[in-house]
Amino acid sequence: MIEVKNLTKSLPNGRKLLDGISFKVKKGEFVGILGPSGAGKTLTLRCLNGLLKPDSGSVIIKSENSQPLDICKIDKRELRRVRQKIGVIFQGYHLVKRLSALENVMIGRLGQISTWRSMFYGFTDAEAEEALKALDQVKMSQMAGMQTGSLSGGEMQRVSIARAIFQSPTLLLADEPISNLDPSNAKTIMKMIKPLSELMPVVGVFHQPEMTAKYCTRVIAIKEGKLIYDGDPKLSNKRLEEIYGEELELIEQQEHMIPVTAK
Amino acid sequence: MPPKKFSFKRYRKFILPLIILLAVTEATAIVCGATFGKLSDGIFNGLAFLGNMYPPDWSAFPEMLEPALQSIIIAFLGTVFGTIISVVFALLAANNLANPWVRNITRVFIAIERSIPEIIILILLVAAFGLGAMPGVVALSIGCIGMLGKLLADIIEEIDPLMIEAIESVGGNKIQVIIFGVLPQIMPNLISYALFRFEINIRLSVLLGAVGAGGVGYELEYSFGMLQYHRAFTAVIIIIAMVFGTERLSYFLRKKVKTEGALT
Repeated sequence: MIEVKNLTKSLPNGRKLLDGISFKVKKGEFVGILGPSGAGKTLTLRCLNGLLKPDSGSVIIKSENSQPLDICKIDKRELRRVRQKIGVIFQGYHLVKRLSALENVMIGRLGQISTWRSMFYGFTDAEAEEALKALDQVKMSQMAGMQTGSLSGGEMQRVSIARAIFQSPTLLLADEPISNLDPSNAKTIMKMIKPLSELMPVVGVFHQPEMTAKYCTRVIAIKEGKLIYDGDPKLSNKRLEEIYGEELELIEQQEHMIPVTAK
Repeated sequence: MPPKKFSFKRYRKFILPLIILLAVTEATAIVCGATFGKLSDGIFNGLAFLGNMYPPDWSAFPEMLEPALQSIIIAFLGTVFGTIISVVFALLAANNLANPWVRNITRVFIAIERSIPEIIILILLVAAFGLGAMPGVVALSIGCIGMLGKLLADIIEEIDPLMIEAIESVGGNKIQVIIFGVLPQIMPNLISYALFRFEINIRLSVLLGAVGAGGVGYELEYSFGMLQYHRAFTAVIIIIAMVFGTERLSYFLRKKVKTEGALT
């Protein structure tokens, strides 16, 4: 479980980027964060795994067999240890382009093996097999040996999901995982992320309300650094207008590109 | 339109610098005693000298093969060790890996090293180690830092920060970032720069040989000293063949690295 309390972050000139954001995510939940560009969605997500330190507030991670930990108040060493168990899927895939897909998946466990072992690429056969299984789960096992630089966007994102699966985290974060992808690839990715929420809490930043309505179990909306909505993923038009304001038109255009069948 | 008449005004910006350049050239030539008369004398003397050197003394060829091989080995070892040291310096000089203080100090050190000719390093090392291949290898290794250190540091700084963040976000430490994020990305450049440096080191190892690092450069120096010009000519031919050969080899390999990603 992850609990975010009163997160604030401001620029040196006093402008508040995050203003008292609080929410909780439990295992089994797939939470989508929505909001106009520049609202502070990605900023919030980066606070969740310590890539960014908020000015005040806390991010408490509780897992079944360890003490609750506030990742805003721990030192670098401790942070590295916590990050071993936080999987992240990024918008830009964050893969090392000249390594193969399989090697990129193995990177997921780098934090968990000793520095000496990693210096000689010392993964065991069992680990390699497990990594291959993770690739198989995202239907990429036949491309395991290919350099990731030569893969397409959808394939790269699948490799990065495999990396997160192999990492076997207790929390999964996704930073606009489908924003660079075409509609059909985006759907595939969402379908692959969704079942992971049964194993761990999943928090993702999205730009597509239709997608979050379909796949997420809950939606949080952030606007101008403030949390303005937390609840059912199916949003009414009025609510959408409230969240996006003038940007709504752009979002609607996107929706025409993504045909969603109402259930 | 009628053809324009010649006007000094139009060509002023070319003629003026030209006159200044000629004046400066002439003045400096007079100061250091380089005249055209001396140049033509020199050319004739040189040609006559080359005529005296001909024909090469092929009987000395077999005994020069070993020094030639020694020169190549000095260059090879110097390049291998030099590249390894340069990678370390490059990592310390990249602003996306090292802290600003370390980076700036390393950058300054690299710049200073670049401005010191290898021959000066060798003379200092000969005083420390004595004559032989060892100071040659060390001098060439140190000589790599100035060039490779800077080029590689610049390449490391251009690495996509996302790849570094990827490894940091799973809890990887600095060493893991370097091994999984940085080295694979710079490998093609690293290899092609190292090959290019090997070409340079071959030429330098001949030069350093003449001042005490052994090898074929010493043979050349020695033959001239003993006035055995035919023997010296053989050494010259071997050196040219050696330099040309390694240059072609390195060019071929670099092209392979670039187009096929071979060796990486």
